[in-house]
Amino acid sequence: MGPLSRYARTDWFGPLLVTVLAIVIVGAFNPSFLSPLNIQVLLLAISVNALIAFSQMIIIAVGQMNLSVGAIGGLAAISFAGMMQVWGLPAPVAAVLALLIGLGAGMVNGAFIAWTGISAFVITLASLSMFKGINLGITQAQPFYGIPDAVKAFGNTTFIDPLPWLVLPTALVAAGLWFLLNRQALGRFILAVGGNQHAAELSGISVGFTVVAAHAISGLLAALAGIMLVARLQIGQPTIGDDWLILSFAAPVIGGAVLSGGHVSVSATLLGVVIVAIITQALVLFNIDPFLVQVVLGVLILWAVGINRLRELRLRKAATAGA
Amino acid sequence: MAVFEARGVSKFFPGVKALQGVSLTLEPGSIHALLGENGAGKSTLIKIITGVHRPDEGQLLLDGKPVEFGGPRDATAHQIGVVHQERNLIPRFSVGENIALEQLAGHPLRRVDYGKVNETARHWLKVLDLDIDPRIPVSQLSVAKMQLVEIAKALSLKSRVLLLDEPTAALTPHETDILFGLLRRLRDEGVSMLFVSHKLEEVQAICDRVTVLRDGRNACESRSMQGLGRQDLVRLMIGRAELIADWPSRDHSRAPAALRLQGVSTTLGHRNVDLTLRKGEIVGLYGLVGAGRTELAKCILGQFPVTAGTIEVEGKPAKIRDVADAIHRVGIGYVSEDRKQEGLVLMHSVLENAGITVWRRLARRFGFLTDGMVRAKTEPFIRRLAVRTPSLGQLVGNLSGGNQQKISVAKWLAAGVKVLIVDEPSVGIDIKTKAELHELLRELSETGTAILLITSDMPEMITLADRIVVMNAYRIEGEITNTRDYRAMSEGIMNLIHRVEAA
Repeated sequence: MGPLSRYARTDWFGPLLVTVLAIVIVGAFNPSFLSPLNIQVLLLAISVNALIAFSQMIIIAVGQMNLSVGAIGGLAAISFAGMMQVWGLPAPVAAVLALLIGLGAGMVNGAFIAWTGISAFVITLASLSMFKGINLGITQAQPFYGIPDAVKAFGNTTFIDPLPWLVLPTALVAAGLWFLLNRQALGRFILAVGGNQHAAELSGISVGFTVVAAHAISGLLAALAGIMLVARLQIGQPTIGDDWLILSFAAPVIGGAVLSGGHVSVSATLLGVVIVAIITQALVLFNIDPFLVQVVLGVLILWAVGINRLRELRLRKAATAGA
Repeated sequence: MAVFEARGVSKFFPGVKALQGVSLTLEPGSIHALLGENGAGKSTLIKIITGVHRPDEGQLLLDGKPVEFGGPRDATAHQIGVVHQERNLIPRFSVGENIALEQLAGHPLRRVDYGKVNETARHWLKVLDLDIDPRIPVSQLSVAKMQLVEIAKALSLKSRVLLLDEPTAALTPHETDILFGLLRRLRDEGVSMLFVSHKLEEVQAICDRVTVLRDGRNACESRSMQGLGRQDLVRLMIGRAELIADWPSRDHSRAPAALRLQGVSTTLGHRNVDLTLRKGEIVGLYGLVGAGRTELAKCILGQFPVTAGTIEVEGKPAKIRDVADAIHRVGIGYVSEDRKQEGLVLMHSVLENAGITVWRRLARRFGFLTDGMVRAKTEPFIRRLAVRTPSLGQLVGNLSGGNQQKISVAKWLAAGVKVLIVDEPSVGIDIKTKAELHELLRELSETGTAILLITSDMPEMITLADRIVVMNAYRIEGEITNTRDYRAMSEGIMNLIHRVEAA
């Protein structure tokens, strides 16, 4: 087996190829794409979107789905902004409390799924509605404007040009998730339950605990994304999170995640986010109707699923031939 | 002293007495066979020993002390290891991690030390003489290798009692030899093993004690294999030979062929299969688990591609594209071996299940269909089958196994197929229902339907079949005309299978 075909088997190779191609092509047509300012704007979008994608990815890993990712993120976002404006809490305290709200919301999801045995789809559909309702009850659909300047600066300035501050938490999360899923027992439990729940259970893994843990992590990451979005938008919008759902599935799937569970890749999911960001930006640069972004995203998902299916078939064929 | 003992164990399910006062004693350093026909209660007993079910009566003793298992993890904690019939590996994980998963479980915050994981795995793979790199994913292994990895996994728990549920079903003779060598070594080291298999020659080769179950009771309990011949085991398993109904033999050699396979090869591995079903005839397809019988049925139905040869239905070549095509255009029906997974929609009513095959034919313009239309078509068959259900609106999931099976046959009667493939029709149903089902299949064949009967139940085969075709390793090994002489028939069948294994 040559080195090329070995790379072709990894999850990140295909998305990386697409990323490089996209950068080269878009950059060739429009050199301003590679300007420091544009790279900074891209990185801002990628930082937040990656957390949204990771929040869904961890649930895909355990073989479920979380429709309430956006609702949890939105709730954490307005809580963060509201606690600072109304109660005058310092930003770090408000951020920690908002993260705890996300963690708690995720644990509630996981506990209900584990306890009732009802599908995650239904439970998170219900909790999506409840979290969003609480959000609207608190905000009365009005944004919070009282965001401290330090928070605004964190969301919009760079620490080394063109790297924005927002890249830091995302980079830490990505490294942490990689470690969790590849080196830590809990991450392996999550993938084991997603891969074959019955076998995981017979091997002594507590399925309930694992499901709750995965949802807790998901809630935490969604909340972090919400908080970072408040910093970036400089305003506590009640609509934060409303448009996260498609992206949250698109990036992991482009990154080769198996929707039935048991297999996800942090690096490839990150590349999925990058691809979506580049394409979104390119369409803006070329003055293409923004509605087309949705269509292109849909095509991209189909294409990625098709590629994954092909790879799986080829792997299976290789396995039977080798047997 | 006995390592493990089950004493007077009973287990009742709604409508079925799965086990009644069954006992079993496992000695250290012994390989103990657990035998019984399908439905005799073997799998229920295994589930009790492994903590999946709790016994309704009786008790389990470990080293002479009573124990109760709250779940499968409890049983493993008591050093009872199991190699299940179905795969219990996580496909994307490495071989090493699959083997070591039990050691990881319970410590979610611990860092996984892959060096140690692979070292442990290498040790157990070496014990098994397996040349597998513990770092490769399980999904890249062959089925046989996966089976051996599962054994390594069970061994790694340092089990004192090891349950092996049909461990050789997916193995080649060579791999089986390796496995047996290993089991003997484990026996000499004092491990107590319970060996479940349908292959009597394997049982005779490796087991020193035997417990036979029949209809949920002990036909013999933990006796020595000394002096027990193959026929003795068979007699213990099936009991008196009088179960065989006394139907006159029929000769269909002049009847036109309903289904004819010539030189058929498939992507699943069948080679050069010739098989003819004549109108009104019941042909039995006998073989051991893994011989490729169900797989052949699925290929005939168009679920998997046929790569060579021809399939003719009523003398005309039939290109069967998919299952819907097989049912509606060609007229081949299939009663699945796995009625819960493949045969019935358990959450739907009796009427919906029985009518599923006729909807397409009955539907009027714009797919308009009423319950009345379906009822008129299916009710006569449900009545004739004496399905015990309070109403046609009852959910199938609430009926007993036997009644479920009747409904999965009824839906094909309503469909009016020319060829019916029946796969293990009496697994898990009681003797009375079984007899009713046999009469029904016989009647159905009298009306001209050709039936291909797949069963591992020898008495059933000899009761029903006009001819018996023996399959082994995805090939047809030969054919015998059924004389309904049990001894001669079972010997003839076993000789056909043996001939291959001896070769």
